[in-house]
Amino acid sequence: MSEPTGRPVARLELPADPEALDTAHDALDAAWVEHPEIGTGERLRFVTALMEILGNVVEHAYAVDARADERRLAVVIDGDGAGGLRGRIEDNGQPAALDLSDVVMPDADAESGRGLALAIAALDDLSYERVGSRNVWTLRCERRP
Amino acid sequence: MIEIDVSTERDIAVVVPRGRLNMVAAKQLRETLAEVVAGGTNRVVVDLGETTFLDSSGLGALVSGLKAARQAGGDLRVARPTPEVLAVFQLTNIDKVLRPRPDVASAFDV
Repeated sequence: MSEPTGRPVARLELPADPEALDTAHDALDAAWVEHPEIGTGERLRFVTALMEILGNVVEHAYAVDARADERRLAVVIDGDGAGGLRGRIEDNGQPAALDLSDVVMPDADAESGRGLALAIAALDDLSYERVGSRNVWTLRCERRP
Repeated sequence: MIEIDVSTERDIAVVVPRGRLNMVAAKQLRETLAEVVAGGTNRVVVDLGETTFLDSSGLGALVSGLKAARQAGGDLRVARPTPEVLAVFQLTNIDKVLRPRPDVASAFDV
């Protein structure tokens, strides 16, 4: 799996469990040193969205009886060559029943339901598709002036 | 990984999450805030000055704590948000119910 093109930032294959969030976050924190062309604003927006999608996958993509050792995630992140970022997250969970065009930010007093809305707000484009037996999320974060 | 410190001074609890407030850590913060309020302290300041990252579940934990504190006749305030935290507050419009305060000591002054 290596869809995004550009300067590689991170390639991760990891178990789809809550620890994946910190593992991916650590990997990116370490990777930024090699990518001074990507500004702090773009890093933050991208990581914010990435963590929401990873959180969504590990919480919702797997049936409760799915074997823990068979839950797998793959993450590919590249710089776009212009100070922005591209990402692709694949998991082998169940298809997600959602339409991203229906996602809205809940009211300020809601205790949950902000994840995908926050990811969409942070990015320039987020898409989801089912490809064979895998869920594929693609993230695009452009450099902002 | 996160550490959450709790101290109480003049009937105000100060809760300090140090590190990333992500999906894993948010559960811990939610429980901590619930315990503080259940323990009889209904005024809570969450000091976000050492919170390096905040996600939607962390926000959910703050809103949950806010509701618990208000139900107990008090309030929850957030102080010293880092730029990372402030960006998420703005993207989610949460600043309508959780207005960031510049410092912990004066968080309950107004």
